Amino acid sequence: MIIEDVISFLGKVPPFQFLDEPTLRAVASSASMEFYPKGAIILSQDGPPSKYLRVIQKGGVKVFIKSDEDEEIVIDYRSEGDSFGFLSLVGGDRSRANVLAVEDTVCYRIGRDAVMKLLDSNPSFTEYFLKSFLNKYIDKTYKEMHNRSLLYGGGDKLLFTTPVGELATKKVVTESQDISIEEAARIMASHKISSLVLLDIEGLPVGIVTDRDLREKVVARGRSVVDPIKDIMSIPLIRVEARDYCFEALLKMIRYNIHHLLVIDEGRLKGIVTNHDLMMLQGTSPISVARDIESQQTIEGLIPVSKKISRIIALLLKEGAKASNITRIITEINDRLVRKILEIAERKYGQPPVPYCWIVFGSEGRKEQTFKTDQDNAIIYDDPKTKEEEGAAGEYFTEFTIYIKDALVRCGFPLCPADYMASNPRWCQPIKVWKEYFTRWINTPTPDAILFSVIFFDFRPVHGDFNLAERLKNYLTQILKNQNVFLAHMANMTVRHRPPLGFFKTFVVEKSGEHKNELNLKLRGIGPLIDIIRLFSLEKGVTETSTLERLDALRDKHSVVMEFGDELEHAFEFITLLRIHHQFEQIEAGIEPDNFINPNKLSNLEKKTLKEACQLISKIQDLIIEQYRPGLVTE
Amino acid sequence: MIGSIALYKNKILRMVYAQKEGIHPSAVKNLKVMEHIDRNTLIDETKYVVIDTELTGLDLKKGSIVSIGAVKMVGGRIDLGDIFYRLVNPETELTGQSIVIHGITPSDVVEMPVIDTALSELLDFCGNDIIVGHFVSIDLNFINREMKRLYGFPVQNPAVDTYMIHEWVRQNDGDFSRHYGGMSEDADLFSMANKYRLLMSSAHNALNDAFVTAQLFQRFISFLLRFGVNTLGDLLRIGRP
Repeated sequence: MIIEDVISFLGKVPPFQFLDEPTLRAVASSASMEFYPKGAIILSQDGPPSKYLRVIQKGGVKVFIKSDEDEEIVIDYRSEGDSFGFLSLVGGDRSRANVLAVEDTVCYRIGRDAVMKLLDSNPSFTEYFLKSFLNKYIDKTYKEMHNRSLLYGGGDKLLFTTPVGELATKKVVTESQDISIEEAARIMASHKISSLVLLDIEGLPVGIVTDRDLREKVVARGRSVVDPIKDIMSIPLIRVEARDYCFEALLKMIRYNIHHLLVIDEGRLKGIVTNHDLMMLQGTSPISVARDIESQQTIEGLIPVSKKISRIIALLLKEGAKASNITRIITEINDRLVRKILEIAERKYGQPPVPYCWIVFGSEGRKEQTFKTDQDNAIIYDDPKTKEEEGAAGEYFTEFTIYIKDALVRCGFPLCPADYMASNPRWCQPIKVWKEYFTRWINTPTPDAILFSVIFFDFRPVHGDFNLAERLKNYLTQILKNQNVFLAHMANMTVRHRPPLGFFKTFVVEKSGEHKNELNLKLRGIGPLIDIIRLFSLEKGVTETSTLERLDALRDKHSVVMEFGDELEHAFEFITLLRIHHQFEQIEAGIEPDNFINPNKLSNLEKKTLKEACQLISKIQDLIIEQYRPGLVTE
Repeated sequence: MIGSIALYKNKILRMVYAQKEGIHPSAVKNLKVMEHIDRNTLIDETKYVVIDTELTGLDLKKGSIVSIGAVKMVGGRIDLGDIFYRLVNPETELTGQSIVIHGITPSDVVEMPVIDTALSELLDFCGNDIIVGHFVSIDLNFINREMKRLYGFPVQNPAVDTYMIHEWVRQNDGDFSRHYGGMSEDADLFSMANKYRLLMSSAHNALNDAFVTAQLFQRFISFLLRFGVNTLGDLLRIGRP
């Protein structure tokens, strides 16, 4: 009978499975069944509050928000047994996200009264929603969660959905930039504020002065307080648009190492957002880790800080962040860590005899790091002018790079098994040698040369004289022009690993060994995608290194990307996120993270999406075989 | 169809029956259904009652009703708690053939009330809703035979046939056909359920079939709105049994 089917379905789905039979029957009887064809919008962003909780019986939906620039930010995919509409239902505020049926979807719709009754009378039901829904968005303890007022207050403050404008302190205190330091300090004290915005004659904000400025630039240096405030104010002001999401603000704070941002709304000053505001929004904060790194003076001090990075990933995952957003933050933090180590080394060994640039490649070069990955780094230094300089440089960098290699290991970056590290003299060379390497690899594309190209051509400067890296990059772009034989060799490498196509029928997974019946996401999914996009970038002279940035740059340059750009981007985001989730679960379980997933453990929607991504990769590989003729190349 | 003829017939009936006494109150109420129906209601706000019957045989002279199932819908939404299911002790014998189809044996129904009670309860359940069914005229023929016998007039609720809607969609709505990779070739409910991926219980009875019909109707509702069939009037025109 109808109701029995509903009861037996809900009986297998958390949190309904925690309910007893009579309660379940009452819920089922009050429910109704809806159908949404693929492509139908079920809930709209900023629409009226949801009056229902919907449980997906069949099909799947995408939960996403649209920014003012019409950029789509996917929060989550939900499939059979998952529900949506809960936050808006209990919060009673407008619906914050769009929910779109990505397949023909059948939902059981449960009314607000019925849900409220369950929340009131069934602790395990309540706990489930509090943990799985709210905890995703606000990082507070369960005890606080249980607080009714919070529950009904609807505080789903998301890092990725809350515009900065909503957090900006309502009133900003401003003053003319012509007042003295003493006057400024008095105004700040009387208003009990930690920052003061200074205006020019026209009333436009030109600078900011914070407690830190008063401490570091005035008191610590014994500067006279009658000096004009504009002498110590920070310029330029870093601004953020009120409609930008807090995530952008966070990224700016990390990048510029500041903790105050001016929030501008339609050209006018709306307020200030501080790192404290963002921390309140999200609990543990990436920026606090970044600042922590900044304040360390020794390698010993950096070690505990570096351990916090995987906690950040956990936090971002909970917040429902996209893979690219996670890797952007992690890259930003890892870069700071590496820079700090280099600064400490420079202090220890003194300034180098010639300018140098520390470059990274591999996933670090592509800004696609997640959990700690092997060291992949090298040094380009300026061509020595004399024999003496040459000798001095060799000596200096030998000790310098070994010190850094060890420091990185202590901070959780394992050694590169293939020794692609600056401590290997082969990868610590003056720019003229690097140019020779690149020329040789391209002109004589032996298997080794292709391997090196794949690894090193994703290089990116992190510290030192960026000009050196820039020069090498320009040189590379120049010598790559019309190198069809080299590109054919690259193409050959690009199509060597095919994704599993018969995935759900024949299950092309590892056939034997430890990972029997599992799928290697890196080798068969992310790897081929990265290789494809690198191939196109090298061909078209695109200098970006991250796969998504390359894709963006290729959109009006490469015919395949013109046609499949969006699909490639989604495939890359999806597989990367799948891998991060997988590795995170392993780390949480105390297992060494790997790239092997068991497709049977994926939800139907995940399977379907993965299958589509694999089909796409395979299709593009076929196009590559057609266009680049790698078959004509003999190895 | 609530055209002028139907309304006129209804008016006559009401005049005739206004004088009579001893008519079942459920039947009296059914005579007034038309007062509550507005052809301009949007199809996704209209209330429907989706029905199915199991019969001892399809021949109107020999067969009779064994069970009646019905579910309620508001627009495209099926109310899971508001369902109707009655087994009836048929006046004619259960044949071996029909027992195979619906699995109702004589011993299942011998204790059940005769159709009279079930029919008035069905009328109450239907209220002022639009009747929906797959090849609904067959069900209505049997129901109306009993209606006329007991009360002297047929069910007054307008009805639409999901089979007729399916045929209309086949000819007019390319979107629907594209969405499902073509239309169902066979007209029976089981084939349609397979084609349009409807949920089916293993048990085949009047209620489960009404539920499957409701889902079929649900699929149409979501497409018809995009295809210019907006109001109840439009729906009655394309789905007339």
